[in-house]
Amino acid sequence: MKMKKVLFAAVSAGVLMLASPSLAATELTVQRFFGACDADFGTNTDVAKAVGECGIITSLINKFNADNPDVHVSVSTVEWPGYDQLTAQFASGDAPDIVTIHESALSDYQSKGLLMPLDDLLKSVGVTPDAFTDAARNGATKDGKIYGLPIDSWTMLYHINMDLFKQAGLVNADGTPILPTSPEELLAQAEQFKQKTGKPYFVQNLANETALYTRNLYTYLFQQNSDFFADPKHVKLNTPEAKKVVEMYKAIFDKDYTTKDLDYGGAINAFLAGGGGVQLNGTWVVGDNNAQSETKGTALNKGGYAVYPYPQLFAGAHAQYADGHTWAVSQKDRTPEQTAAIGKFLKFFADHDFDWSRTGHLPAYKAIIASDAFKALPHRNTIAAVADLGRPLPSAVQRQFAIQDIVGEEMSAAITGQKDVDAALADMESRVNELLANI
Amino acid sequence: MDDRRATPPTALPAAGVRAASIDIYAPQWRNFIFVAPFLFFFTMLLLVPLFWGMWLSFHKADTFSSGNFVGFGNYIRLFHDKVFLQSVWNTFYFVLLTVPTLALIGLFLALCLNRRTRTAAVLRTLFFSSSVLSVTIVTLIWRIVFIPNVGLLSTIYGWFGATAPAFISDPSLAMIGIAIATVWWCIGLPMMLFLSALQQIPQDIYEAAALDNANRWQTLRSITLPSIKRTFVLVVIVQIVLQFQLFGQAWLMTRGGPNNLTKPIVLYIYDTAFRRWDLGMGAAASEVLFILILMAAMAQYLVTRSKAGQA
Repeated sequence: MKMKKVLFAAVSAGVLMLASPSLAATELTVQRFFGACDADFGTNTDVAKAVGECGIITSLINKFNADNPDVHVSVSTVEWPGYDQLTAQFASGDAPDIVTIHESALSDYQSKGLLMPLDDLLKSVGVTPDAFTDAARNGATKDGKIYGLPIDSWTMLYHINMDLFKQAGLVNADGTPILPTSPEELLAQAEQFKQKTGKPYFVQNLANETALYTRNLYTYLFQQNSDFFADPKHVKLNTPEAKKVVEMYKAIFDKDYTTKDLDYGGAINAFLAGGGGVQLNGTWVVGDNNAQSETKGTALNKGGYAVYPYPQLFAGAHAQYADGHTWAVSQKDRTPEQTAAIGKFLKFFADHDFDWSRTGHLPAYKAIIASDAFKALPHRNTIAAVADLGRPLPSAVQRQFAIQDIVGEEMSAAITGQKDVDAALADMESRVNELLANI
Repeated sequence: MDDRRATPPTALPAAGVRAASIDIYAPQWRNFIFVAPFLFFFTMLLLVPLFWGMWLSFHKADTFSSGNFVGFGNYIRLFHDKVFLQSVWNTFYFVLLTVPTLALIGLFLALCLNRRTRTAAVLRTLFFSSSVLSVTIVTLIWRIVFIPNVGLLSTIYGWFGATAPAFISDPSLAMIGIAIATVWWCIGLPMMLFLSALQQIPQDIYEAAALDNANRWQTLRSITLPSIKRTFVLVVIVQIVLQFQLFGQAWLMTRGGPNNLTKPIVLYIYDTAFRRWDLGMGAAASEVLFILILMAAMAQYLVTRSKAGQA
């Protein structure tokens, strides 16, 4: 009797397992960050109607599912950046098929053989690396092979409330904002802004934040020609150049030229409510901010919204820290149908990169950057320069997210006065080197 | 049968001679089947990870491979790491902030609510209800309270034209903010333990005290508190063991910041092992935490054993 039951259960399970693939389309699992917005875009397939990173990526995947009935993509959304989860998934052999990975994090997974080289697959669907921008191709190439389909290049920007800039007298005759050209000028303009508007010049998310601090430091180290990662295994951050940057941000903090206790969401809300002149945030909010500026009654609608790359404050290279997002594919055994479905998905995103560039990110394809449609998007005339200015850390530097945490923690400690600047820079350097020495 | 009983348990059959009797004290290996499922899971889920963790702590290992034997190398790195030492201090500071508060507020609530009225029953349920929430919900609620500009605290301070303290980002307040959320979350268990202890105190002692004209303060000091002393010790030790394992609240409210001032040992382990992929050092930090919690558990054992001896 017992045997019979066990046999029956086993046969039923077997039949179910065999039946499902024959009935369903090829199933692909996709894991991404960029937030969740199913309430607004959960069923939208008209990508042109979508706004913002989350809206556009959700609508693009909906459209892919609608256009390709033989493939079904199921999406799991993770909290940014999602690497703790992804690492655990890889370790347990349960990685998604396709996953969003920053170019700066690709080498961590690629060096362990966890990602599939995509050269042949991309070639089979007609996507060739020579179509990528230089920044995107370099970011996605590790050891001479492509390990992720680049979808954009991103960087941090000065998002400007023009109404408050006008009140502060920081507008040129042609209506463009007056931006600083040196640290001294930055502090003088921030003081003028505070005097005239009663508000802080910067809206920054400094509450328990690390990424913003780190990106600010990298940008201004590049602008001083500081080759702090000349050796990818050994960083040099306890330098006069780094000290200049930290002291500049410390002065901004000490003199109340910035918001102080806001987290990321709080800073966005504060900027949209007119809480300060310049929000330091990435390319990904250009679309949302622009939509706000076109909505009557908002703080950005009052006097307009402008967005610029970080101003050149030092005499060195014209550069600022940049990174990019890619779709990477996990290394595992697949049927030819599954591999072909992945190829279709990647080709779809390569073909729809213009839609993605409406977020504010720069396209990963030369043809799109050069296209009239892209140039016609709002504010692209001011931020397109980032395609040349953007500079990542050397691709051989591993654990860039962990390094970002260390650099950000120490910078935060120095700027908020918890630690002496020299002590923080010394700790920053030794902690990063300790991490790199033990990979 | 009699012969079997008469056989001394230690008697051994002579060499080459088959024993005629059955030793009732000898292990019956078929009984092993009854405990085998438990032993299997106990071994696989507890013993193997325990010893594997110890083994890892002596190796240079990352999430995807285990490398060379490094002896005490990971432990040496650990005790040279300022962030680890900071996280040990943070954990003790957090325990110091929460455990006495939980014990005292729990006792106070139990004393107030130890009566057979409907209001007391409702309040008991209310105070216990926060304990059933998950850490995610608890931290979400307290973030809404603490968040600058739009949070509940900011709104209330705003009515009086004042600025609310920055419980999430101020270096001197962040841990206190986490402690407040934790006390609110965990107060139910100590309160219930004290209530059950209070209800076990014989009523006639209170009647005798009333006959002797003892006032409420004297009754509390001379009867109630001495009677629940053992429960007090139990609450303190259980809470020490629990609060040593702080993770969720710190991760979700402050991410261990500002500058690692709210990073407890468990968050340090998570950070090291899973975000930096330095599994060996993460395992070493886990062993240190294991020893700390073991010490607290041993203290509980010693205290309860000596009390039992006295009784």
